[in-house]
Amino acid sequence: MFLSDCRREFYEVIVSQRVLLLVASDVDALCACKILQALFQCDHVQYTLVPVSGWQELETAFLEHKDQFKYFVLINCGANVDLLEILQPEEDTFFFVCDSHRPINVVNVYNETQIKLLVKQDDDLDVPAYDDIFRDEEDEEEDSGNESDGSEPSEKRRRFEEDVIERTMKRRQKREWEARRREILFDYEQYEYHGTSSAMVMFDLAWIMSKDLNDMLWWAIVGLTDQWVQDKITQMKYVTDIGTLQRHVSRHNHRNEDEENSLSIDCMRIAFEYDLRLALYQHWSLYESLCNTSYTSASLKLWSVQGQKRLQEFLADMGLPLKQVKQKFNSMDISLKENLREMIEESANKFGMKDLRVQTFSIHFGFKNKFLASDIVYATASLMENIEKEGPETDNFIKALDSLSRGNLDKLHQGLDLAKKQLRAIQQTVASCICTNLVISQGPFLYCSLMEGTPDVKLFSKPVSLCLLSKYLLKSFVCSTKNKRCKLLPLVMAAPMDVEQGTVIMVGIPPETESSDKKNFFGRAFEKAAESTNSRTLHNHFDMSIIELKTEDRSKFLDALISLLS
Amino acid sequence: MDPAAGSGALWVGLRRRSANGEGGRGTRRVRVRCRRGPPGCRAPGTMEPAEAEFLAEKELVTIVPNFSLDRIHLIGGDLGPFNPGLPVEVPVWLAINLKQRQKCRLIPPEWMDVEKLEEIRDQERKEDTFTPMPSPYYMELTKLLLNYASDNIPKADEIRTLVKDTWDTRIAKLRLSADSFVKQQEAHAKVRWGRLERFASSVLGVFQMPCDCVGL
Repeated sequence: MFLSDCRREFYEVIVSQRVLLLVASDVDALCACKILQALFQCDHVQYTLVPVSGWQELETAFLEHKDQFKYFVLINCGANVDLLEILQPEEDTFFFVCDSHRPINVVNVYNETQIKLLVKQDDDLDVPAYDDIFRDEEDEEEDSGNESDGSEPSEKRRRFEEDVIERTMKRRQKREWEARRREILFDYEQYEYHGTSSAMVMFDLAWIMSKDLNDMLWWAIVGLTDQWVQDKITQMKYVTDIGTLQRHVSRHNHRNEDEENSLSIDCMRIAFEYDLRLALYQHWSLYESLCNTSYTSASLKLWSVQGQKRLQEFLADMGLPLKQVKQKFNSMDISLKENLREMIEESANKFGMKDLRVQTFSIHFGFKNKFLASDIVYATASLMENIEKEGPETDNFIKALDSLSRGNLDKLHQGLDLAKKQLRAIQQTVASCICTNLVISQGPFLYCSLMEGTPDVKLFSKPVSLCLLSKYLLKSFVCSTKNKRCKLLPLVMAAPMDVEQGTVIMVGIPPETESSDKKNFFGRAFEKAAESTNSRTLHNHFDMSIIELKTEDRSKFLDALISLLS
Repeated sequence: MDPAAGSGALWVGLRRRSANGEGGRGTRRVRVRCRRGPPGCRAPGTMEPAEAEFLAEKELVTIVPNFSLDRIHLIGGDLGPFNPGLPVEVPVWLAINLKQRQKCRLIPPEWMDVEKLEEIRDQERKEDTFTPMPSPYYMELTKLLLNYASDNIPKADEIRTLVKDTWDTRIAKLRLSADSFVKQQEAHAKVRWGRLERFASSVLGVFQMPCDCVGL
């Protein structure tokens, strides 16, 4: 059921209990977890944190802990499946689910006792009505055993006939109702998409309790920016949510800095910025950032020689000397940095890049430390999926969680370095895929498969990196191809996951159009294709459009998918 | 100075070449009788910075809580009652804890003000001897309050600089006077050591003198 009053029905219930936090592995979940942890620390709530990266881990963690905990909080996992069926909990266990995955499973919506959803009601949810999907099991045979005593045979026969007619009518109605139900559920569950970021929901909770701080606001901003970087929400929703957060930012950061009340430089300030969309440009050189951001690289077609020339023209048009542009951004001449944004925007318009600037926020503390929200997103995501260190998965999760605190700048800088490597690897892979025509049209979708020997392919065995790669690849492909039909196709991307076990990770992303609503049908499609071919697949990720399957089954799976979708 | 016998003596180890090269070794050892502290492994009466900070946290500071609570009875005394919006005096350790849990707003002590601190600093620079400080724990309190509650203290950066300046001046005076005391082999230190910060003793790497000792 949906909670109307988060404070009374969620927070005040758990504040005196021990709680188990199950947190999914993405940056939005990390931010929501940070906010909730800060609230728990203020009120001395005892909790245990378990990071989970898939359904199997969720089940294992639940089974391990179900005897000790009665209250479970699930962050960014659990809304889109029938929790009660999967976990089989006891009667007195309660689940609080704060998840941005949609559509929410109907059982979770209509369960009145055990499952509580922390979801904003203004998300367009379109949940089907209760009567359309659930129906009490009526006693079908209630009138068949009716004995009428002592009536005339003709009456009896008439009644019998009437009974038979009634029964057939009822059966027909039931069949119709079931057919309609199947249709409604199919329409409801066909497309996957994302709702409001969980970090923003948690921040709202903190705000309602008047315990919100600038730090929590920053985490909410990072959570929202993660949804935007991963292309999970539409541009409209992003702009609306930015507006909401902007109000909070002005409330917290409006201090008139005059002679009387100047704040220490070490205090954190958040500022609204209409800044460039270039990834990590303030911590890198402008040139590298232009080459490794998908938007500029795709628009200028930087994988070709022509593209490189256009980049030089672009820089020349702005009047930025190559030497300046290739050095670290902080060391660029101040005179060049002053009007950089406006200059770049003007030139970008000439070269067909109309959306080079985006509304976002930046954080500023101390003399040296200024970060944009997207910088933090890239850094945290690459820390979380760091393949360099061998160790339990939870180590990376905890490191990424720590890097979100302002005191752990060394971890953040490490994350930024990893993010740079990741972005470079992505761009190189995209360039090689486009140049070698690795993206082929299979009819209803485009398909690209990374070979085992590709450099940096280990980086792409993780879901978030692979999704980022596929989105960039699709963007670049759409700019590079001349085939109008291909531009509207979705993309399925495969990469080797574990060479020893012979598994492949496969990701499906929706088509790249101007006004796409980011709804993804690959979740259901993958399920159906796997069923029909008996392929050995593992639908482990919380996003249904990411699966793992055995390399041998790949071709028959693809064939089934093609026939399903055409 | 003949070595004092008996317990409670405190070695002052000091290496110094004698002024006109007399004597073979050039090392002079002075033993000082310490009035307090048991004979023990460590020089009694000296203070680690952590200990000084711990003692500083007992000082009282004003906070404005945002919750309500009746009087609480602790071993060290009673605190409270707490009412939202009404200022109340609590020890610094509690104030910092409440601030971290966002349950209060700290009000800086009266001496933590730019003009007052400027005066104190200028006076310290003028005088040769130590001037009285607003609180024996001014350094520790500044550090604690500015670390945890700098958003409640106006002009925190300037205050930090002023306090550090004053501290530097005082330490310089300490070293100067200790140096001259040894050079001139004086029986009394020219300064009133009682006015010193507790922490001063640990700053003197070479010396280990109890700062409560007045006269030697």
